[in-house]
Amino acid sequence: MKESSTSIVSAVITIFLTGCIIITHDISKDFRQSLTALTGHHWISVSVIAVILFVLSSGLLLSSKNLRKILRSYDIGLWSTALIDVTVIMILVIFLVLIAHSLAD
Amino acid sequence: MFFIVFFAFDRDKGGAQISEESNRRSAISDIYIGLALLLIIGGIALAYENWIGHALIAIISLLLMGYAITTGAMLKGRLKRKSGNIFKLHRKSGIYFGSFVLGSFIYGLWMRLQHGESLLSSVHGKLGLFILLVVTLQDIPSLIFKNRAKYRGLHRIIGYALAPILVIDAGWGLHNGVTGVTKSLVLLHSISGGLAALVLVWIILEMRYPTYKSLARAKLASYLSAFLITAGCWIVGGYNYLTAYGSQVRPVILAGPHPWAHEVIMEAKEHIFVFLPIIAFALSITLSSLDRNTFQDDAKSRHALMMIACLALFMVLFMFLMGAIISNAGQTGMETLK
Ligand code: HEM
Ligand code: HEM
Ligand code: HEM
Repeated sequence: MKESSTSIVSAVITIFLTGCIIITHDISKDFRQSLTALTGHHWISVSVIAVILFVLSSGLLLSSKNLRKILRSYDIGLWSTALIDVTVIMILVIFLVLIAHSLAD
Repeated sequence: MFFIVFFAFDRDKGGAQISEESNRRSAISDIYIGLALLLIIGGIALAYENWIGHALIAIISLLLMGYAITTGAMLKGRLKRKSGNIFKLHRKSGIYFGSFVLGSFIYGLWMRLQHGESLLSSVHGKLGLFILLVVTLQDIPSLIFKNRAKYRGLHRIIGYALAPILVIDAGWGLHNGVTGVTKSLVLLHSISGGLAALVLVWIILEMRYPTYKSLARAKLASYLSAFLITAGCWIVGGYNYLTAYGSQVRPVILAGPHPWAHEVIMEAKEHIFVFLPIIAFALSITLSSLDRNTFQDDAKSRHALMMIACLALFMVLFMFLMGAIISNAGQTGMETLK
């Protein structure tokens, strides 16, 4: 299997998008409310969205050879580094936003 | 029947090499160092009669156990040997591990005595006694008898079984320390997290010291990690968060002396966590798509997978720490409200 890192690419995409959703929902009350309205609780909505994004991006990558080529999904070294970087950056930003929020109150 | 064949096969692989190595140097000096460590731990217990001190000693014993098991697996060729005299390292870490377990045990009893509580009444304490007995059974015969053939099977079973048992006991102890009361769902989700950390360490070791069977075992470990993180942490932790925490613990924390434990730590924990199952699934899927030959030849892929497992391990431990802070804030909040 040459392109074994496809699911790592989708993890990077999922974590980046989910991270953005989390950050937005901490900043914007309206967005948080619409997330709550979706499933009854904002945390359940975020969880469900993350799963859907992971499945969708995996499906998309698996179905398009071209996309895999453009994204260099064969390069597991590149994508594992990207996964670590994106995750750590998202964690840091989420923390900063929450700390700022708590200090502002 | 299968087991008999399996053990017989094992014996002729390692036997000659190991009995030769074991004669090289006596273990006396390691035993003296172990006893000295025990005295130091006793001193610490006298000075800090606090469960945090007891927990730190226990965490060191967890690390030593990891080292003992890794070197044990190297002795048998299950993991690729690193250079140096592995037997000596194994014996040394086994002895020090014994000291730290005995030290944790005495420390725990001492704390209870100081608080005037009955001894060995908690599940954590009873399990601790069991661990101590099992570790004694592991260390003493290995040090006394020259011929290991008879209890080799036992040494192996106890050796690997100790890992999950010690992790469960540590999780239980932490739960007693930070919440004061037993909440089964909380306990279940934090022990699942502890076990997830253990299987992630296992994956890291298989990637770092690969042998012919490493990929198959790493696949199994990665399925376990995905299961523990999804079923144990996500579903059980989430269920408790939605049903009990929001209505009972959250208001107490917000009214107590550390409201940031909810506003910052819990808010961060519940959301950052969501990345973790995604990472665990990506790791499992990637491992399951590899075949043994590419895995053996491809050091770059192994390194990449090891780094991903390290990321997941870091996140699990981070969740653990944040969880302990939250539960503890709940407990102190309760006390101030009283
Ligand atoms: C409590 C601490 C110890 C733990 C957790 C432990 C664990 C293990 C494990 C997991 C193995 C690998 C077995 C296998 O994969 O088949 C092993 C092998 C071995 N251990 Fe230990 N061990 C401990 C203490 C000791 C001590 C103190 C000695 C010797 C003085 C010792 C001697 C050996 C030897 C010689 C082997 C090679 C395999 C064999 O003969 O079956 N161990 N150990
Ligand atoms: C990180 C790990 C650990 C933590 C956080 C921890 C925490 C605690 C706490 C809070 C207590 C006092 C409350 C209670 O009765 O349960 C305690 C007691 C105790 N602990 Fe631990 N512990 C840890 C690991 C260990 C280990 C590895 C052992 C033994 C090998 C051990 C043995 C004991 C014993 C014997 C007691 C006295 C309990 C009794 O008499 O019922 N602990 N621990
Ligand atoms: C890898 C994942 C996780 C780990 C390792 C973990 C670990 C822990 C630990 C060690 C504690 C405190 C210890 C205890 O009282 O036993 C705790 C408490 C807590 N965790 Fe988690 N956790 C994880 C995931 C989650 C998730 C997904 C949620 C839900 C959104 C969650 C919600 C909570 C809550 C609400 C508490 C406080 C419980 C209380 O005291 O009532 N955890 N966690």
